[in-house]
Amino acid sequence: MPSASDRTRGPGLTTLLRLAGLLVLAAAVLSFPSVAANPFILSVGVVIMSYAVLATGWNFVGGFTGYMSLGHAAYSGLGGYATALLIIESGLNPWLALCLGALLTALIAVPVGIASLRVRGASFVIVSIAFVLILQLVFQSWGEFTGGSNGLRVPRPFGPDVLRPEQHERFFYLHAAVLAIALLAWWLIDRSRFGIGLKAIREDEDKAQALGIPTFTYKLVAFVVSAFFTAIGGGLYALWFGYLDPIFQFSILIGSYMVLMSLLGGIRSLYGPLLGALVVGYSVEFFKNEYGDTQFHLVATGLLLGLVVLFMPDGVIPALAALLRRFRPQASSIREVTQAELAEQRESQESGPITQGAKR
Amino acid sequence: MTVPTGLRLTALAVLSGLVLAACISGGDDPGTEGGDDTITIGISLPLTGDFAEPGKGVQQGYEAWAAYTNANGGLLGRNVELTILDDQSSADRVAADYEKLINDDGVDLVFGPFSTRLVIPAAQVAQDYGFLFVEPAGAAPEVFAQGFDNLFYAAPAVADDHYDHLADAIEAMPAAERPTTAAYAAMDDPFAMGTAYGLKARLEAMGVTTVADEVYPPNTTDFSSIAAKIANSDADIMVGGTQYQDAVNLILALQQLNYQPRMTAFSTAPTNPEFPQAIGDKTEGILSPTGYTPEAAYPSNQEFVEFYTEEYGTAPGEDQANAWTTGQVVAAAVEAVECAEPEPECQQQLIDWLRDNEVETVVGPLSWDAEGRPQGAHLIQQYVDGRIRIVLPADQAEAELILDKPVW
Amino acid sequence: MSLFVQSLVLGILLGGLYALLAAGLTLYFGVMRVVMIAHSAFLILAAYLAWVFARETGLDPLFSMVATVPLFFVLGVAIQRLLIARLRPATLTMMSVLLTFSIALVIEGLLGYVFTGTQRRIQLPYGGADIEVAGVNVAVVKLIAFGLAALSLLALYLVLTRTRFGQALRATIQHPEAARLVGIDTERTAGYGFGIGLATAAVGGTALALDSTIYPSMHWHWIGPLMAIIVVGGLGSIPGAAIAAMLLGMGQALLQIPLSTTWAQTIFYVALFVTLMVRPQGFFGGRLAQRF
Repeated sequence: MPSASDRTRGPGLTTLLRLAGLLVLAAAVLSFPSVAANPFILSVGVVIMSYAVLATGWNFVGGFTGYMSLGHAAYSGLGGYATALLIIESGLNPWLALCLGALLTALIAVPVGIASLRVRGASFVIVSIAFVLILQLVFQSWGEFTGGSNGLRVPRPFGPDVLRPEQHERFFYLHAAVLAIALLAWWLIDRSRFGIGLKAIREDEDKAQALGIPTFTYKLVAFVVSAFFTAIGGGLYALWFGYLDPIFQFSILIGSYMVLMSLLGGIRSLYGPLLGALVVGYSVEFFKNEYGDTQFHLVATGLLLGLVVLFMPDGVIPALAALLRRFRPQASSIREVTQAELAEQRESQESGPITQGAKR
Repeated sequence: MTVPTGLRLTALAVLSGLVLAACISGGDDPGTEGGDDTITIGISLPLTGDFAEPGKGVQQGYEAWAAYTNANGGLLGRNVELTILDDQSSADRVAADYEKLINDDGVDLVFGPFSTRLVIPAAQVAQDYGFLFVEPAGAAPEVFAQGFDNLFYAAPAVADDHYDHLADAIEAMPAAERPTTAAYAAMDDPFAMGTAYGLKARLEAMGVTTVADEVYPPNTTDFSSIAAKIANSDADIMVGGTQYQDAVNLILALQQLNYQPRMTAFSTAPTNPEFPQAIGDKTEGILSPTGYTPEAAYPSNQEFVEFYTEEYGTAPGEDQANAWTTGQVVAAAVEAVECAEPEPECQQQLIDWLRDNEVETVVGPLSWDAEGRPQGAHLIQQYVDGRIRIVLPADQAEAELILDKPVW
Repeated sequence: MSLFVQSLVLGILLGGLYALLAAGLTLYFGVMRVVMIAHSAFLILAAYLAWVFARETGLDPLFSMVATVPLFFVLGVAIQRLLIARLRPATLTMMSVLLTFSIALVIEGLLGYVFTGTQRRIQLPYGGADIEVAGVNVAVVKLIAFGLAALSLLALYLVLTRTRFGQALRATIQHPEAARLVGIDTERTAGYGFGIGLATAAVGGTALALDSTIYPSMHWHWIGPLMAIIVVGGLGSIPGAAIAAMLLGMGQALLQIPLSTTWAQTIFYVALFVTLMVRPQGFFGGRLAQRF
């Protein structure tokens, strides 16, 4: 876990335990294909893994800087189309096309980031939604190149002798590998100077700027890295699913799922988006089974998002962590607190007795 | 010693992951449902979302067909049972649905979904598992260019050929009386564009000049600018590649600009019973291709119309008929090769049989080429004296074709 | 030539509706720094209410505003007081986006649940009627919609400039702290501001229902252009939003002559990106817009 409180603790047993936990997590993920009862369950697993990759990709900008992009479907969609078009138009090796497609998408994200990050949050959100909508229009209209509303078949990376269940299995592992890389990158940034600067922006952009952090450059880099990982996720999904259609690729709903998953799990936590993806991915299947013939899934998504925003804006992991913390002695180490929490503490200080100082 | 929060949470994440995996895995084993005395048929349809309305029509057609089949001794002496899932009008869901139907529910056969946009991803899944895939709605030319060898379209003609009879009739007119200019407006949808551009290709070959050619996205609600361009072109014939509501909006917008074409044709919308009321009864002379009419004299059609009318209280429409046709086509293959199992050998036999044979259906006898295109053309209907009647081809006409459309 | 004039007239008529809706959207931002994603979802809700009203009573859908405008005002105040005000000030802009986004999803889902995804259109006796002026055909329904929008904008302008409440509202927009110091109850003013914003959606929705098909997921196609308009006009600036709406509405209609419908729609997004690149505070925005 990334929270600074852990770092002050000594190594040894804790590190060992944490490693063991990581191993168990990895083992659980890797053994899933053999546990899955049939190819359908396996395909649901691939979808959930894909969600986890996308949400983790989203969290590079959402989690570190606090800038909530509602339109990250733009980058997953671009990644998918770039991969497919590179294979179709230039006959590139699928895996090379995937990486190149993601790089191209990251390149496209640069001007978008410059336009939307020069000012504060409101414009960023507006541009994020607008960008998805414009891409949907363009990819729909530019039929000769993108296939338009006829859709685009994505050539398969594996030969015809690889049957569908086998494909699911391979793509499950591929998604898991990409997820591991994305998590590692997140973890590395989290521990770096760069990461500290980004978090400073999240908590108070003005103060961060006053401290000499090049806020604009930092935000832009985080945004482009996020676009890159989201594009990898989108490209991988396109290779697996094999069919792209603008109205489904550049959909607001997919972007909102990414936000919901990250927010639900906790945008400050390494595993937050992964946990959120598990919960959301599972509930999507569940709601469809239970309330299949209605638009209830939209209402459920909306309600869930609203409840999380109102009552658990830091996500499930921090909420549970706070719960757990109650059951153990008060830690005295420096802890990461949001500006809002600080403000609350200040307020309670003003009214209450002045014993709170130690808490900071 | 205290266990760090991070570790507890890792453990929690692992645990919840395992629990979820276990929950999802707890589904039924394939093939246990129904047993030997029923044939289960898996279908995914857009019951909610943007394609929900026609999706419901297809559902009614399927259900009516199943009820009729069971009332008449079933298939191979076994009852048929439909498993219908809702794909929420989404391509991701439609593929997941067929994945589920084939693997998790262990169905014996599958029928196709609705809308071209959903047929291709669904057909891919069916193809990968070797299933026969007969579909009631995927008429766009692209569907047949994907190299699917398991796909058959259960309707008389692909979208490009819908207007063939009308094109023939215009070609037969003396050159001086033919329209000289044409305007086209088509929804950016493979099916709708296919119909309009099929006719466009024929008219251009006859020397009819294209003076306006507009494509609009499916979500368009304001047609005034498109109408302005068409009205400005003052074309002799106006062709709409439309679904339902867009045609109504476009016609109202054209009326608002007081544009009066000599001939006008729209796909899909005019055959809808609500159409005359929606455009204020100014329907006279509007043409439309249709793949089905309840009045058709094909042997099985009468039974279909009677049965359906008894069940639902209204005569069936095109969506219902296409669904019923799908049932008829699959049933014919099943009866002929005497198997209905999910195993690839049986499915391949069904596919091979359909490739080489003709099937009698409520929309007429159907046969297919190697890519699954049906080999026929649509009837042309027209509003004559306030009622929609078949006007082309001449041997099936119920009324005389009106060549000069009255003012709307 | 006639096509040009015809398109220009259509653009002005369309721009009027955009102006009214963008005014509401920018008003929320002014009083609360909130990007109200659900604005167009409420627009569609109002359109559905007008459709239900016309279907059930057989009366003209315009009369539905007697109920929907006050209802939406109260709803707006309630959303501000009960939901938006609960959010932490430090993350208000971001979290309010997500919150209003979730409201939009709930509205869309419920509309789909109750009315299905079928496209609906009110059938009016004067639906296809037109007036011809100097060779230009103008649809009656579009004139009515434009008239509604213009009247509402005028009313909004008068409220903001001629009433005490309007002064308080503008003070709240310009400098909330200073407004509080001179004794303005900024909380309550913000609530009313939100209510007025949502009331514009009620008027706009009724106007929209006169001449357009409606369906639950339609609001996404409105929110994009509207958000582009308020950025181009300068966040929080009502005159800016109105002017930008008019210009972009006309631009869209005129661009449809050489381009296809789809490409013409991109004018909003091109304008959005150009504005943010060249003049991020918008073309009519003041100090407020610079920080957001």
